[in-house]
Amino acid sequence: MKFIVKYIKDIWGAITSLLKGMRRTLYYFTHHKEIITQQYPDNRDTLNLPERFKGEVVMPHDENNEHRCTGCQACELACPNGTIKVIFKNEINAEGKKKKAIDKLVYHLELCTMCNLCIEACPSDAIKMAQTFEHSVFDRNQLTKILNNPGSKIMEGVE
Amino acid sequence: MNGSDIIFYLLAAMTLVCGLLAVTTRHIFRAAVFLLFSLIGVAGIYFWLQYEFIAAVQIVVYAGGIAVLIIFSIFLTQQAGDKLPKQRIDRKIFGALAAFCGFALVMIQVYGHTFFETEEGEVTVSVFNIGKKMLSITDGGYALPFEIISMLLLAAMIGCIVIALRTKKENS
Amino acid sequence: MWSLSHITNEIHEWLSSTFNPTWTLIFEMVLAGVAVIGLFAVLGLVLVIMERKVSAWMQIRLGPNRVGPKGILQSTADTIKLMVKEGMTPSGADKFLFNLAPFIAMIVAMLLMAPLAFAKDFQLWDLNIGVLFVSAISSLSVISILMAGWASNNKYSLLGAMRSGAQIVSYELSAGLSVLSIVVLAGSLSVSDIINSQADGWWIFKGHIPAIIAFITFIIAVTAETNRAPFDLAEAESELTAGFHTEYSGMKFALFFLAEYVNVFIVCAIGATLFLGGWMPLHIGSWDGFNHAMDYIPSSIWFFGKTFFLIFLIMWFRWTFPRLRIDQLLNLEWKYLLPISMINLLLITAMAILKWHF
Repeated sequence: MKFIVKYIKDIWGAITSLLKGMRRTLYYFTHHKEIITQQYPDNRDTLNLPERFKGEVVMPHDENNEHRCTGCQACELACPNGTIKVIFKNEINAEGKKKKAIDKLVYHLELCTMCNLCIEACPSDAIKMAQTFEHSVFDRNQLTKILNNPGSKIMEGVE
Repeated sequence: MNGSDIIFYLLAAMTLVCGLLAVTTRHIFRAAVFLLFSLIGVAGIYFWLQYEFIAAVQIVVYAGGIAVLIIFSIFLTQQAGDKLPKQRIDRKIFGALAAFCGFALVMIQVYGHTFFETEEGEVTVSVFNIGKKMLSITDGGYALPFEIISMLLLAAMIGCIVIALRTKKENS
Repeated sequence: MWSLSHITNEIHEWLSSTFNPTWTLIFEMVLAGVAVIGLFAVLGLVLVIMERKVSAWMQIRLGPNRVGPKGILQSTADTIKLMVKEGMTPSGADKFLFNLAPFIAMIVAMLLMAPLAFAKDFQLWDLNIGVLFVSAISSLSVISILMAGWASNNKYSLLGAMRSGAQIVSYELSAGLSVLSIVVLAGSLSVSDIINSQADGWWIFKGHIPAIIAFITFIIAVTAETNRAPFDLAEAESELTAGFHTEYSGMKFALFFLAEYVNVFIVCAIGATLFLGGWMPLHIGSWDGFNHAMDYIPSSIWFFGKTFFLIFLIMWFRWTFPRLRIDQLLNLEWKYLLPISMINLLLITAMAILKWHF
């Protein structure tokens, strides 16, 4: 008797759960506003990228051409495939002391997998992910980018 | 020769040629497929005779059931695409002799029988008539064969269940 | 009044008055053949674009939308591409069976068209065992799959063919039993008799709950028999690349593809005939006014409407449910569908004897 009750319960559960799934797909079938496909080359101007879409690593600069990178190399160490290289220079600051600062932050876009580990590793939020994605070029050397602007220097107060 | 005759000869030729190919081909899977076509040809002759019920049963039982069973057993036992070894000549001779004896027996019966035109009217083979005949116990009824076959099937089913249960016990 | 049977009668009369009976017969056979092939081509185009659009909308996508207005010419373009593609034969394959298999699939699908009633008095062959004929011939479709799987000389194809064989052979049982329950109610195997028995209401309404159970088992079983998701183990893309038609390309692949869609159409047409009254308009008992109003809709529209509703249902299943594992598949058949449909058949037989149906 117990067996039969379980058997019928199984069938009932199966039917209700399948109907639940079918109701969801019918909802999508009849509500075309929910369609998430982007017709990319046609809607370049109104492209609506998701919040967490990651296109490339950039270093934001403020209006005084200052960035927040201390050159701690955390990003270089965090990168799993050697995308980021930090090249240093010695800088003499206002008090006449020698101080290490970045000369170039070299970023190989062609090696990057957009894994976001460098951004998470950065202690001073100097780099972030941009949402640009039209990266194709004719020469792969153009994919090797220098993230800090020429002549830029570190922001005051960032250690 | 009218259209009906032409269709008969086509069906008969298909049955015979496929039957011959089934025994002469050396690919076992091809043999099974030719056997299937031969059986379908027989079903076609039943359709030509307007015995639709028997034709459909022929297709269900032989083409859909037995041929598929044969093909499955080939899948499970044979290596793909291997050619069978050539048959020994004595086996060929005995096979041909056996086939000829069967053919001769049938032909002697057919020629010895005097056919006569029936005076009865045309009988439509409706499901009602088939069901009636299947369960009738009068002369020419099929109640007894029907019951015997159902016993056989029951025995086969019980046998299947027993075999299935035994292997399960040994595994655990 | 304009109707398909009227047109066929006109053609028949014109042919009989112009030629002698033999030539009339030959011309009519040729016309029927051309009509069936034309229907196949149209069905292939319509069903493929329908499937792609339905799947896209159910998965919140757009679907094909470039070729022609709203993408409706996409399947035509695909057909042209498949026709000009090379049909390759793998070197280790059994060439004869490999090339024969797609044609067997097509021939089986064509034979199944014969007893279908597309409209009032519009049927190729009204034979007195119509429903049995359909289940007999459809059991042959497994042969083409087994042939293709074996002849390809490819382990994926062979595995797909074996799976499909086991699946079709087992699901034929419950499909047959649910068909049989309607045969019991209607008291005939002939398609036209079954349709005429539904003149005062379709069997799914007249047969109470047992008829609805039979309908559900029928739909599940035929979805499995046509090898469509969630029962598409025979061609499971993620496991067997494409199952039995892995090695096929060009027009030979197209024939398999077409046969699959035509089979879907045929099983849905059979389902519509048995449970939803075929071309019979929606009639309710003795409401004469309502019945007359329904009769104004042409019978062919009723038939195709019901059939396409069932096709949509099967597509809906495909794009909602995940694929079953092989043990789940066989459990579903042998532990659930078969016992249920057997008990259901007993119930329906009792109902038919006691005249409990309307």
